[in-house]
Amino acid sequence: CSDDFLDQPALGSLSEDVVANKQGVEKLLIGAYAALDGQGLGGGNPWESASDNWVYGAVAGGLASKGSFGGDQPAIDQIVKFISNPSNGFYNTKWIAAYEGVARTNNTLRVLANVEDISEAERSNIAGQARFLRGHYYFELKKMFNMVPWIDENTENPKQPNDTDIWPNIEADFQFAFDNLPGTQSEFGRANKWAAGAYLGKTYLYQEKFPEASTIFTQVIESGTNSAGEKYDLIAEFEDNFDAETENNAETVFDVQMVANDGTSTIANSNQGGMLNFPYNSPFRCCGFYQPTQNLVNSYKTQPGNGLPYLENYNQDPVKSDMGIAADDSFAPYAGSLDPRLDWTVGRRGIPYHDWGHHPGATWIRDQSYGGPYAPKKNIYWQSTQDLYSDQSSWAPGTAINVHIIRFADVLLMAAEAEAQTGNLGLAMQYVNRVRERASNPQGFLKKYIDENSPLTGFNDAENAANYNIGLYTDSEFSSKENALEAIYFERKLELAMEGHRFFDLVRWGIAEETLNDYFDYQGKITTDVRGGKFIPGKSEYYPIPQAQIDLSLNSAGEATLTQNPGY
Amino acid sequence: NNSYSQKTVTLKLDDVEMSQLLDLIENQTEYHFVYKIKDVDLSRKIQITVNKERVPAVLEKIFKGTSTKYEIYGKQIFLTNNPTTKSSSTSSKSVQETITVSGTITETKTGMPIPAANILEKGTSNGVMSDFDGNFSIEVAEDAVLQVSYVGYATKEINVNGRNEIDIVLETDAAALDEVVVVGYGTQRKQDLTGAVSVVKVDEMVQQPNAQVTNQLQGRVSGVSITGGGQPGEAPQVKIRGANTFGNNTPLYVIDGIPTDNIGNINPNDIESMQVLKDAASASIYGSRAANGVIIITTKKGKGKLSVNYDAYYGTQMVQKGNPWDILSSQEMADLTFRAIRNTNPGAAIDHPQYGDGAQPVLPNYIAPVGANTVDESLYNVDPYYTDPAQLNDFYRIVEANKRGTNWFQEIFNSAPITSHNLSVSNGSEKGSFLFSLNYFDQKGTLDNTYLKRYTMRVNSVFNITDNIRVGENLSFAIRENPQIGALSEGSAIGMAFRQQPIIPVRDIRGNYAGSFGQGLGNAFNPVAMLDRLRNDRGVSNKLFGNIFAEIDFLESLTFKTTFGGQYFSNSFNSFAFPAYENAENNSVNSYTEGAETNFNWTWTNTLTYKNTFADIHNLTVILGTEAYQNKGREVGGSTQSYFSFDPDYVTLDTGSGTQTNYSFKYADALSSVFGRVDYNFDDRYLFGATIRRDGSSRFLNEQYGWFPAASAGWNVSNESFFESSWINDLKVRAGYGVMGNQINVDPANSFTTFGGNNQTSFYAISGSNSSTSEGFQQSRIGNPDAKWEKNINANFGIDATLFNNTVQLTADYYRKDINDLLYNPNLPATVGSATVPYVNVGQMTNSGIDLDLSTYFTLAEDLQFNTSVTFTSYNNEIVKIADGLNYFDLEGRRFNGSSIIRNAEGGSVSQFFGYQVDGFWDSQEEIDQANAAARESTGNQNTTYQSDVAVGRFRYADVNGDNQITADDRTYIGDPNPDFTYGLNLELMYKNWDFSMFLYGSQGNDIWNNVKWFTDFYSSFNGAKSSTALYDSWTPDNMNASAPIQQTVGSFSLADVPNSYFVEDGSYLRAKQIQLGYTLPNSVLDAINISKLRFYVQMANAFTITGYSGIDPEISGDSVNFGIDEGAYPNQRQLIFGLNASL
Repeated sequence: CSDDFLDQPALGSLSEDVVANKQGVEKLLIGAYAALDGQGLGGGNPWESASDNWVYGAVAGGLASKGSFGGDQPAIDQIVKFISNPSNGFYNTKWIAAYEGVARTNNTLRVLANVEDISEAERSNIAGQARFLRGHYYFELKKMFNMVPWIDENTENPKQPNDTDIWPNIEADFQFAFDNLPGTQSEFGRANKWAAGAYLGKTYLYQEKFPEASTIFTQVIESGTNSAGEKYDLIAEFEDNFDAETENNAETVFDVQMVANDGTSTIANSNQGGMLNFPYNSPFRCCGFYQPTQNLVNSYKTQPGNGLPYLENYNQDPVKSDMGIAADDSFAPYAGSLDPRLDWTVGRRGIPYHDWGHHPGATWIRDQSYGGPYAPKKNIYWQSTQDLYSDQSSWAPGTAINVHIIRFADVLLMAAEAEAQTGNLGLAMQYVNRVRERASNPQGFLKKYIDENSPLTGFNDAENAANYNIGLYTDSEFSSKENALEAIYFERKLELAMEGHRFFDLVRWGIAEETLNDYFDYQGKITTDVRGGKFIPGKSEYYPIPQAQIDLSLNSAGEATLTQNPGY
Repeated sequence: NNSYSQKTVTLKLDDVEMSQLLDLIENQTEYHFVYKIKDVDLSRKIQITVNKERVPAVLEKIFKGTSTKYEIYGKQIFLTNNPTTKSSSTSSKSVQETITVSGTITETKTGMPIPAANILEKGTSNGVMSDFDGNFSIEVAEDAVLQVSYVGYATKEINVNGRNEIDIVLETDAAALDEVVVVGYGTQRKQDLTGAVSVVKVDEMVQQPNAQVTNQLQGRVSGVSITGGGQPGEAPQVKIRGANTFGNNTPLYVIDGIPTDNIGNINPNDIESMQVLKDAASASIYGSRAANGVIIITTKKGKGKLSVNYDAYYGTQMVQKGNPWDILSSQEMADLTFRAIRNTNPGAAIDHPQYGDGAQPVLPNYIAPVGANTVDESLYNVDPYYTDPAQLNDFYRIVEANKRGTNWFQEIFNSAPITSHNLSVSNGSEKGSFLFSLNYFDQKGTLDNTYLKRYTMRVNSVFNITDNIRVGENLSFAIRENPQIGALSEGSAIGMAFRQQPIIPVRDIRGNYAGSFGQGLGNAFNPVAMLDRLRNDRGVSNKLFGNIFAEIDFLESLTFKTTFGGQYFSNSFNSFAFPAYENAENNSVNSYTEGAETNFNWTWTNTLTYKNTFADIHNLTVILGTEAYQNKGREVGGSTQSYFSFDPDYVTLDTGSGTQTNYSFKYADALSSVFGRVDYNFDDRYLFGATIRRDGSSRFLNEQYGWFPAASAGWNVSNESFFESSWINDLKVRAGYGVMGNQINVDPANSFTTFGGNNQTSFYAISGSNSSTSEGFQQSRIGNPDAKWEKNINANFGIDATLFNNTVQLTADYYRKDINDLLYNPNLPATVGSATVPYVNVGQMTNSGIDLDLSTYFTLAEDLQFNTSVTFTSYNNEIVKIADGLNYFDLEGRRFNGSSIIRNAEGGSVSQFFGYQVDGFWDSQEEIDQANAAARESTGNQNTTYQSDVAVGRFRYADVNGDNQITADDRTYIGDPNPDFTYGLNLELMYKNWDFSMFLYGSQGNDIWNNVKWFTDFYSSFNGAKSSTALYDSWTPDNMNASAPIQQTVGSFSLADVPNSYFVEDGSYLRAKQIQLGYTLPNSVLDAINISKLRFYVQMANAFTITGYSGIDPEISGDSVNFGIDEGAYPNQRQLIFGLNASL
């Protein structure tokens, strides 16, 4: 046989030189965006690397129970009770997903350097987006694991030690993106200058660089626009942030774009990481996870007079629940004064669950004694538009509802923190009140159904679903930095609940131990899931470096290049 | 027939022993001596000088003046003792009456007549030969004993007892040393073998009622480990001498010279011979594909007069009785539920949706509506064929509780028929031969909607064009339908059958399916419905496999052979996913999937064989050859959702209304090789062999070519003049050493770094759309252009012996294999990204072990023959190295969320179980406090606890490293699914027209991970059905000496959330694979109806199993480096078979 008999190129794929051009690198960049959803990146189950961090941010932050029942995904119980060991596969999946994101941005940057058929403006736009995304992936790693190895497009040995704080590198990526990206992008899903600015501010905030944070947030709030060039603003109705029909609006700073029915016959691009988080035994079919806690629900109680929250003792006189009450026994919802955002955040018995009818209570819950009586809501699609925005091609639903990485309300509350920390209490209060003011728009309150038996007929605009009462802060509550911060922290909980921020906020605020151990005490008396949970200071602030990655990091001398976090 | 006698003999010998002289004559001519040892004085020294003399003249010289008489028939020279030397004994007989005995001599296997068999009156020179049709007639004394012999068959003695008609059946003599064995690219006499070659006793093997040779081979030959399940057509795991790679361990099969990796479609009845090449000396001539061992199969050729054979059997496969998973009744399940709730939340009020809020659980009359005692049947609304997912929300199900309890095992397993019909026609003559065969095999699975239906056809022919040119072909065509389920994994119908609660009936009040819909019933699927919904799924594969060849002899000693062959394979499949409605979690979108694949590969081989003898004692064979191989294939398929009608006649890929998707892929690879082999035999005493092969592979880039040498030697000790033994007939020792290669695991694209798009993982809705994404790329593969061959360096020591007058035959081998440059694709740190990692030459592994084959042939009494075959297989596998910076890899996470069951680690063997060792239960809070105090003392940290998540009644784990704390470091090896040894024992008993056989197979010392227990023994592991262990033998304050821990509703690190030794069981077993009793009709009957053979038999397969394993079947397979996990095995069921063998 001749020599070429054995020549066999790879079939069905492209070599690097074929993609090293303008169109190719643009597609590599899209691929780098595609890692945002955390799905299909080489790790474990979809929910282990969900882009909204519902396990690591919300459940571990005490806002929600894992849900379902005890034997289902028990690894999450160990994570949220802070008794998990480094071999827990969830951490490894999250780590793998984030580093695949990093690898895709690095590939984009490396190939971009060899691309010639491109203008300088295009080059810096692509580089800016890639570095924005890399900053995001590393931010995820940093807040989860603290000490992580830094790999960029010039790193040759992938076994880098995790002995250096990477905040400066993350800052540099966002700074580059801020300096090089345009304010307006050709497509809405792309990061722009102002998204980079907001993320840079968040990076400062996590490092407690408050003056720098204040400066950049002020710029973003005053001049920032979304990628379509629309000036940043809070949209009129809170709930429109959580509806695929009204998302991608003036409040959007940076979202993970989700789709439904995209032709793949899967929910891979349909917020698959949240596939478990729908009521059970319901039109959603599966799986009864991510149930808000009584502790969270109580936080939405407001003082009847001024409509302000109970910052300290919100668990006294809790919001009445249908815990232990069978679905066919009668139950009347709580009549006390409530923040209207509760009923866009939490599904509870006797209150309209979008246009699906009243939440029926126990029948939609897999095990009340384990996960409590509530259901999540921000991630729930509407019945009237389910054909458009839900995807039923898997055993649990997918949705087109985006996951918000940063929305403008978040920017305002982060800015409020920066201002409070730098002594501008008035401006801080102004920012918080801007968020509360939007929430107090009565048009945005949940209404009762026109006909309870026919929820698709619509809502009765004249009748609120519950007793909503929300007011603005006054100077007296913002009289000191401590008071102001307490109010701001609480506002973040109310506004951004179930959006994956809570645990990381508690850690950076330094109040995780107190807050979470109180939560275990309180919630453990109600549900069995978090009994035995204990936040251990000096350890539980960060999740362990995945054991599998340490074991894969051995150098030629057989020593691990990765070091485990303290306490594990 | 004197055509052979034209051959002449040249000898010039002083003082040679008779035995050697006979051998020399055999070597120089095509004659073969047939004699009984005691009839010929083999040690007699002879002087002889002949120059190109014809054989009869030479024989005359040799035996002149001795008592030995010779007769030449065809190629055979019969030597008998001349009666004149025993005048005293014969003279007494001479006064007796003589009678004429006549009959037919036939062959046991096919019933074919044996022409030219030798019939001798024992103790006399009175003898005759059978004619062309096997008939003979001889005049003997009334009480004479007939000795009947024929080369290759065991000599038989028969008492005449005054009978005039005696039909004689000759048995194959497996001990015959001149048996020719097929080896790589040629043949060798068995006595000349220097490599480890096992010859399969095909006749015994095909007795197992199974369509697949790989299943039948289990226990039939040493050194081959086979584990399979009971699912029809499911390919078992086959390993030769242990695990040789971390990937695919499938041996190379060579059918009539054509290599293939799949013999699932070969008809076992077509197999003439089968040899297993186990060591480098025998296998490395197959070079880069030899490392997993080579199995050579030769199919039957036409022989003798036109014959027609028909073999058929029909039987039934029976399902084991009772409740094999020991599942609780409905009331017991309710009791356990209340106990688990109370154990978890003591004192809390219970209000269970099904069992009520009383002190004791009460079974409801209906489970849907939930917990109802009365229902309004007019509300019933279920459309099982709903097409709009939204309809699911409107259904009103009414399901009566099955208070007695549904036995889901018995609901999905049902007795099933198995049948096989085989017809062959063959003929052979000087002009050539042909064989034509047809086989129809149909085995319904005991699990509904699984079956294997296969049609095979074969045409083999050879044409002798001239004296020295032969051409021919071997061609088979198979059509196969073989729907299977994925046994041993959680989602299968078997898995659902041990999870579905007993209170759920199979059907609701209107006959639609009932299920876990409702509350408190878990989330398992209805397994009966699952299987029923496979009813329209089809898959048909076709395979054309074979070769054409031409052979030319020239210059007497040279033969050139060219062979071109391969396979054309195609497979098409379609399946419909029905919407479900009865389960807690339902698929509501109907969809249809269809696809097809084709594969074509060819092999072209050319060999030149030189065979000659020099100076009478130097026997030399040299083979040189070239081979080219190319393999190409592709697959296309698609799926569509949302069909208006589910009628299979309507459903096609374009009649659905929902999303249409399609896919395709293709692959190609090639090999190019040259090889050579030398066999040298000095005086039948010293044997030497050497092989070498150079392979080039398209799977590699920078190091495309590899060399694979091997050498071996043997010593026929018993042929030495000094060797004297009354009980050792034959003894040979042999040794071999060489290198075998492996490349099977390497993807053809392994060398290349590639990029590509994937609409699920690299596409993104960059535009902000809610329904469509834009194309993006990701790195799909990291290339390794430097990959090269695995080197499997193999040493083998063996001994072959025939003992006790040829009644015992023994082969024993010790081997050691060092596998270097093992190709493995180690996980890389996540920092490189998740592109497919390449295979790199990093690993090392060793295997060592002992193979034993023992056969015995005893005549216990007149007409009573007793034969046994024993095989013994052992291997000791050790992973020496996995990769630089990586000393283990874990597999099989199952429901353990990141902690895996199996750890393949350096220093261990493949597929070992890894986890925490259970060291009893926590019987009291004091015990816990004590352990915690010790932990705090050791660490000096007040936050330390001995073990996470402990509570009274849960598992206490062993502190393996002694640091007073249970951490990840306390995980240890808690089981090994590799057996210490496996063995097979075949027993055969023949008495007159009756035959009995029995085959036992066993595996000793292997562990099984019984993951069924994860579901059934822990209440917290999904609200499915539970075992009686959970209720009656779990920890309670009154039963601390329990098997299972306390039953709770919440999982825990200290229960079943992490792999621990609770799940490990001894999986040793001994199974009667088949027992058979046959009766062959006497010729006196058959002659009347003109049938040459007719045998009936009754058989029981999988008759009994002796094991301590608690699961439904201890035979648990798996993949190369992750096997032995039982999560719902498809059991090997007992089969009762009636069959017949007929020959015309």
